[in-house]
Amino acid sequence: MLELLKNLASWLTSGPQWSGNAGIAHRLVEHLEYSLLATLVAAAIALPIGMLIGHTGRGAFVAVNLASFGRALPTVGLVTLVFLAGGLSKWPVYISLVALAVPVIITNTYAGMAAVDPDIKDAAKGVGLRGHQVLWQVELPLALPLIMTGIRLATVQVIATATIAAYVSFGGLGRYVYDGLAQRDLVQVLGGAALVAVLAVAADLALGGVQRLLLRGRPASAR
Amino acid sequence: MKKKLPMTKKLPMNRRTALTALFAGASAPLLAACSSGITSLDGDGSGGDTGSSSGGLTIGTANFTENQILGYLYAGVLKAAGIKTTVKPNLGSREIIVPALKGGDIDLLPEYQGSLLLYLDKNAKDTEAGAMQNALAAVLPASLEVLPYAIAEDRDSFAVTRETAEKYGLKTLADLTKANGKLVFGAAAEMQKRVVGVVGLKDVYGVEFKEFKALDSSGPLVKGALKKGDVDVANVFTTDVDVAANKWVVLEDPKSLVPAQHIVPLIAARKADGKVRKALARLGNVLTTSELTELNRLVDQDKKDPDRVADAWLKKNGLVSA
Repeated sequence: MLELLKNLASWLTSGPQWSGNAGIAHRLVEHLEYSLLATLVAAAIALPIGMLIGHTGRGAFVAVNLASFGRALPTVGLVTLVFLAGGLSKWPVYISLVALAVPVIITNTYAGMAAVDPDIKDAAKGVGLRGHQVLWQVELPLALPLIMTGIRLATVQVIATATIAAYVSFGGLGRYVYDGLAQRDLVQVLGGAALVAVLAVAADLALGGVQRLLLRGRPASAR
Repeated sequence: MKKKLPMTKKLPMNRRTALTALFAGASAPLLAACSSGITSLDGDGSGGDTGSSSGGLTIGTANFTENQILGYLYAGVLKAAGIKTTVKPNLGSREIIVPALKGGDIDLLPEYQGSLLLYLDKNAKDTEAGAMQNALAAVLPASLEVLPYAIAEDRDSFAVTRETAEKYGLKTLADLTKANGKLVFGAAAEMQKRVVGVVGLKDVYGVEFKEFKALDSSGPLVKGALKKGDVDVANVFTTDVDVAANKWVVLEDPKSLVPAQHIVPLIAARKADGKVRKALARLGNVLTTSELTELNRLVDQDKKDPDRVADAWLKKNGLVSA
């Protein structure tokens, strides 16, 4: 066990391991590229939907259930399915990562909006705000903590799952996990897994920082 | 992702490849349940009856179709020889079953020469069937024995589509040099660093690919990619039903780069008496690679039960009485 940890430490710290196309630095960039793009696209799809159903209160039942259904989709199955239908490209990776992130963001956005006190919305209308003004100036700011939590959750899940890119021949940190398994190189597997874990935690902390920044000055109960 | 660690596999054992590996975490408790089941059913698994099959045999199989069919074929011919058998299908990968055999939980296992040899000896160099049989006998512990190998073989091979074969005039692996730097090679990730893969193709035949794509071994990914033209050369097993169905051309291997993978019974020595040897040898001399492929097709494509498929084939070939 100690031997393994020693090997792992030297794998992670050796200079050549970090350079070149198969090096850790390049794999890290690839991993971030897959994860960031997928999360951004997912947010662009999910935020408007979540806001719309949260604001109107219509379609909530359908949307929330569809989202739960989406959460149950096995990612490997989805990747294989899109691969078989569309061939060898990054589409299977992006489609399955987006499909993984969208439900989380929708349900959290909707839940945040739905939790806004109806009396506050009534009061906003009472002082003469229009529908869209209520949405942007009252509902969204109040729902922001939950919306941000949704985005954080989605980001962490996507980073952890982006290892799937290696399953269909692409890069990212998953390359070490898959290649290590295939070559029975336990150190490489552990190294890859550890890097993914560190990246996911770092992203969560960074987004947590952003969240605190956005919610500065609010009472603790409203964060 | 860390859950996948215990399921590292080799050659034909990784038929279900990464999919299985990913679900390994989920199946681990199941396997544990299986092995405890074996112990209780085996009764005298401790080796009380030396060199005799009179106490009956427990046959284990790995977690893919072909190995299960072979397990039932073994059971069929042994039963016909008057030996009591129990089949424990789907026990998992070699890393789980071979230790179970050593521990006496199971007595007999359908194995593959090359993969078994590499499992037992990482540095094994033999690729020819006869030499491998000797090498196997040398590395196995005294309690285990390999019986004579069968005609049927499930080997790694390299296939191209008929169009590609015609375009470049490809018949053997050596012909691939005609298209050096032009073809994309799709295979499981391990093939990139293995002698049976990119390394050997370059060293032995001088083949250089344009690109290597890490997909799977004879699985849905690499076959799908070959079908769509995303890869030009694909790693497929000789008993894969899709090879014939798609009229793919399997490139010949005149320099024996790929180790032989004849099917070979791995048995606990204490159970290997004359009756068992004779029955299994007879089966091995009748079952061919193409027939085994057909049996795989009946199970994988026609969704028939492996035990029924095995039974019907044994009857048809007169190995058991109808």
